[in-house]
Amino acid sequence: MILVNYIASIILIVLGLYTVCTKKNLIKVVLGLGIVDYGVNMLIVSLGFNDGGTAPIYQMSDLLNGVAPSFFVDPVPQALTLTSIVIGACVDAMALSLVIMIYRKYKSINADDVRRLHG
Amino acid sequence: MIQHFPVLAVMLLFLGAFCVEIFGSNNAGIRNTIAMLAATIALVLIYALIKPVMIDGEIISYWMGNWAPVSGYAIGIGYEVDALSLFFALLVVTTFWLSGVYSMSYMAKDHHLGHYYTLYLMLSGSVLGLVMTGDIFNMFVMIEIMTFASVALTAFRNENEGTLEAGFKYLVIGSMGSSFTLTGIALIYGQCHTLNMAQISAQLCTGMTPTTIMAFALIVAGFGVKSYIVPFHTPAADAYMVAPTSVSMIFSGMVNKAGVYGMIRVLYIIFRAMDKSSVQMLVVIFGAVTMFIGVTMALAQHDFKRLLAFHSISQIGYVITAIGLGTALGITGGLFHAMNHTLFKGLLFLTAGAVLYATGTTNLDKLGGLSKKMPKTCICFLIGAFSISGLPPFNGFVSKWLVYQATYTKAVETGNFVYAIVTVVALIVSVMTLASFIKVTQAVFFGQLPAELKKTQEVPASMLVPMYLMSALCVLCGIFYPIVNKYLLHPATEATLNVTNYIDKMMGDGYAAMMGAQNIEVAPVQFSYWNPIVWLILFVIIFVAAFLVITGSKSSRGQVLNPGVKYDPKYATFFSGEEELFSQVGGSDLFWGFKTDWKGYYKVLEGLHSGIVTDYAGWTVMATAIITVCMFIFMR
Repeated sequence: MILVNYIASIILIVLGLYTVCTKKNLIKVVLGLGIVDYGVNMLIVSLGFNDGGTAPIYQMSDLLNGVAPSFFVDPVPQALTLTSIVIGACVDAMALSLVIMIYRKYKSINADDVRRLHG
Repeated sequence: MIQHFPVLAVMLLFLGAFCVEIFGSNNAGIRNTIAMLAATIALVLIYALIKPVMIDGEIISYWMGNWAPVSGYAIGIGYEVDALSLFFALLVVTTFWLSGVYSMSYMAKDHHLGHYYTLYLMLSGSVLGLVMTGDIFNMFVMIEIMTFASVALTAFRNENEGTLEAGFKYLVIGSMGSSFTLTGIALIYGQCHTLNMAQISAQLCTGMTPTTIMAFALIVAGFGVKSYIVPFHTPAADAYMVAPTSVSMIFSGMVNKAGVYGMIRVLYIIFRAMDKSSVQMLVVIFGAVTMFIGVTMALAQHDFKRLLAFHSISQIGYVITAIGLGTALGITGGLFHAMNHTLFKGLLFLTAGAVLYATGTTNLDKLGGLSKKMPKTCICFLIGAFSISGLPPFNGFVSKWLVYQATYTKAVETGNFVYAIVTVVALIVSVMTLASFIKVTQAVFFGQLPAELKKTQEVPASMLVPMYLMSALCVLCGIFYPIVNKYLLHPATEATLNVTNYIDKMMGDGYAAMMGAQNIEVAPVQFSYWNPIVWLILFVIIFVAAFLVITGSKSSRGQVLNPGVKYDPKYATFFSGEEELFSQVGGSDLFWGFKTDWKGYYKVLEGLHSGIVTDYAGWTVMATAIITVCMFIFMR
């Protein structure tokens, strides 16, 4: 719920997409994908945040007695972020291993040279 | 009892994936047994759902760990199988089972087969989970598993030319699509505070906010990447070409169907955006462009599998066009074409794999005359080619006819000229499909046999049996289409258009009505393609279109060659290269006239398909931006 987090995450996503689209070095392309992931993760985790909120440990009576819903931090986005971080790490690892093998085969990691399949 | 079947099928496939890796990495017998056992049980479990879901009209729901909704809020992860989910689940199980049987002998000469079957089972399980889940984040996780397994399988024969490159492109474009989907899901969660698709759908009855419009656009773009509609299609062509053929069949039979399923689910059920004619128009235009660019690129290819890949893209264009119409007729046609595409494209990929297995190449310029050496494969190929080209008794004819009829009816109903143009484009694309399959038939199965292929033999029986099954299904679906319509297509169409049952089953009776969703009665679709007047009108359209194309273009036909132009022997005679008396009429040369007439167009397209991954990423971002802007204009 913090505006600056939202703005920062959008900036990260746009920067990442810019990197993927403009950099010819395949490792930089992979880094761009990573930056997009970080931006998305930050967006998700910011969604559940409440300023001054506590851990989501409560009893049903607390809720019924009129404790404000912003009393605790929403735990679901954090679970989503964890999943997303794991997936993002896997994407990076797999992409980098492909880049290593491409380098062995093509002797280059410039995107302009790695284009045997085209047309 | 029966509500456990969907989740059991998915779990079994994932469990099988681990067991193959643990117990079977060194022993072929154990490995094949585990893989086929898991696939067969999943097949049986999903087929057992046909009676309750398709015939009795039930919706099966399952809450993981029994976390049912509390006071109108869905907390747990739910599986929900309605007729639409089951329709795609049936396609998925059929495809991976046949592919599994086929890979037993097709992949037998490869190394590291333990990894192959692990990835195969994970891919199958993830796609099956994707089409049956009722939780949007679970859907994202399944998409990611699907992308990983697909990338690894694309690059599986990594010593071959181009596999690593294709895998890398697939990974970059695919994970960009997943990131868009995830951003959309995050925005939806921020707005609705739930991840259950039924509850999101119910909450969005009250209208769209800018946040949900943004989320909608991003999720549509994400599923566009997964179904490879045109600006996103480039990794598909590469991946289908270099992946092992049993995997190419899985890709075209179920991975891009998962994208189509996601599109239908998002457009019709979660956001219910298809009642807006501008959204319909956007989807239809994307579909029409997809089918046209796909087929024209296919005509220019010199590789059997790459050609099939571009046809795959083109046929998905038909499906997207039809589901974009928003009418019951269109959805029925689109679903039927999706099903038929699974059958005939799977069959064609299997025959391409058989040719590769027998001869060691898929280059159209090096093949020829295989009909005498591989007669059974040839007959299966011809059935597949007739089906995809839409010749009458085969299944492609019925579904393509439904697509023409749906677009034309839409044009008449709305009076919108664009839909009429789309009908004509669909017809022309069908003609071009036939043309390019004439080229393949000539280049691979007819014509002269090259000397180095003299020892070619027919493929083993375990590869022929899946081909026979697929061929039989192609013919049967074409002849007995009313039965297919009654038991598969009509329930799925009804499930697509009616959201209330879907919501009520998950969230409790009356929830949908409370939120303001309403039910729509769907009349069974009438198959009226035997109506002679309709035939006549369409033939007139084709005739006029052909006439305009022939006379309207300022072609160089009949003109004397300009003496200043450099003489190019390749285009001098119809049969290029007459240096040798018995030279093979290369399939690539059959349509040289067409290609020279369209030289400018092909130059542009080949420039666009540059093979540079950053260019493709640029297209993806651009198309997503276009979709987002359009949605904001349309849905405000």
